[in-house]
Amino acid sequence: MGFLKNISALALLICCFYPVQAQDKSSYILVPKGSYWIGKKQHGFNPRRQVTVDSFYIATCETTNRQFAAFVAATGYITDAERRHNALVFLPGLKEFEWHEDSTACWRFPNGVSVGGIDQKMDHPVTCISYNDAEAYCTWAGVRLPTLEEWEIASRAGAATDYFFGNDRSLLGQYANIWHGRDHLKADSSDGYMYTAPVGSFRPNPWGLYDVYGNVFEFCSGKVLADESAAIVHARGGSWWCSSASCSFFNSADIGRVNRRASFSNQGFRVAKR
Amino acid sequence: MKRIVVLFVFVAAHTIGFAQETEDYSQITKETLNYEEYRVKITRPPYGLEKVLGLISRIKETEDENLVLNQKDYMALSLREKFTYHMIHPETYSQNCDATPPVPESEKKIFGQLPDGFNDFSWSERQGKFFDANRDSVIALMSESINRSNRVGINYKRAIADINGREMIPLLISTYNKDHKDKDILTLLMLLMKNNEYTPFMTSASYKKLYAAPNQESSYRAYLVGNTANEELIIQRATAFYNGLPKKH
Repeated sequence: MGFLKNISALALLICCFYPVQAQDKSSYILVPKGSYWIGKKQHGFNPRRQVTVDSFYIATCETTNRQFAAFVAATGYITDAERRHNALVFLPGLKEFEWHEDSTACWRFPNGVSVGGIDQKMDHPVTCISYNDAEAYCTWAGVRLPTLEEWEIASRAGAATDYFFGNDRSLLGQYANIWHGRDHLKADSSDGYMYTAPVGSFRPNPWGLYDVYGNVFEFCSGKVLADESAAIVHARGGSWWCSSASCSFFNSADIGRVNRRASFSNQGFRVAKR
Repeated sequence: MKRIVVLFVFVAAHTIGFAQETEDYSQITKETLNYEEYRVKITRPPYGLEKVLGLISRIKETEDENLVLNQKDYMALSLREKFTYHMIHPETYSQNCDATPPVPESEKKIFGQLPDGFNDFSWSERQGKFFDANRDSVIALMSESINRSNRVGINYKRAIADINGREMIPLLISTYNKDHKDKDILTLLMLLMKNNEYTPFMTSASYKKLYAAPNQESSYRAYLVGNTANEELIIQRATAFYNGLPKKH
């Protein structure tokens, strides 16, 4: 046991000093087959329990605009938001949990045409895409969405706490692009970003995954409740919009839910290998 | 580097396995589940309900799963029917994180925030504008419905908070006092006091605990213990707040 703890500490040390700029944005980590503890004691949707999974590879970064653009260029795919003109975007001044429906918004203009396009944001996570769009990308790219359990195992990186770095929320700003304002009435760019940040801008978790908390909610496959509607899908990890005072889902226990056709400007995904 | 990461993952996985304690997480009781179900029930207004339900079912049958009733059908509805339509058919999607999981013994808690009532949907901007533009009528229709059913559905509570329906405080209190069951009515009273920045509430310990604790996990999950003292205090404050409002002539 002592040997294992020493090796873990050494590896953790190496990972912590691994330069943020050096990560390969399209790389994967291997999570070995095994039994892992997930969930949280007394959590209504995600109780603490042990699960067994096969080994899987999960992307170190969220899928970027560049990667999604390659998919669209190759297939001519039109997203739900482009067809339905009902993407939900954020502008400072909205009340908590309020989103503005913007007919001009889509993955190319994630917060509407008036806020600007993604030309200078190709390394940011793709947003304003629905679960259906994410699935279409995965089919084309020969990958898949991680399951709810896989995402949590990878995000925890072995931790049993709310966050992979423990339970001290004050450390979150080192690892995640989130909203630090008390509410959403005023813009908050105190961490350098009001909306998305380039993937890998913050420190990774001990297994080398970036942005598992914050930046964008990440779609996962799987159901939380056996009888939930087929239209409901799930996403995890919180987003740039999430704050301590409102949605605080930037952790390894909470599980968000959204309609599979909905396109929000804080919604993206990370992939796993098939 | 990749090898080191893989090695670490492998080692960490085994370390976790050794380090786990067996935890016996508490189960949510049937009483709690029933109360959670009760909390998110909406009130279906009776005004033109059958007609409106028919229109909504046709919306859902459209090829592209449209969410919004077409303008022609919408404009043909009376104000009361429009009220029913808006109250039972949210037109847009809701965000990922506004559904909070069931909380153990929620029936014994007074939360700082209302639960989500429409799952993956929420009211659109046009619906919000309808409530604002027809505020007096909406209050009258909700009051009529609450008086008849002795129930304040989650859709009504949210609408009351959205339109700042502080005139309804006496009705809310009398409805709560009928069975002392729906603690979200107390939540609504606190939200009204908070949204109107009622000083005695804004300076209270309750306010600090629910809405202003800087290091609290999340105000959206914060709660007060649902005991008689807290109930009476909320009602007393809300009554004083209401009595201090400018009277309409």
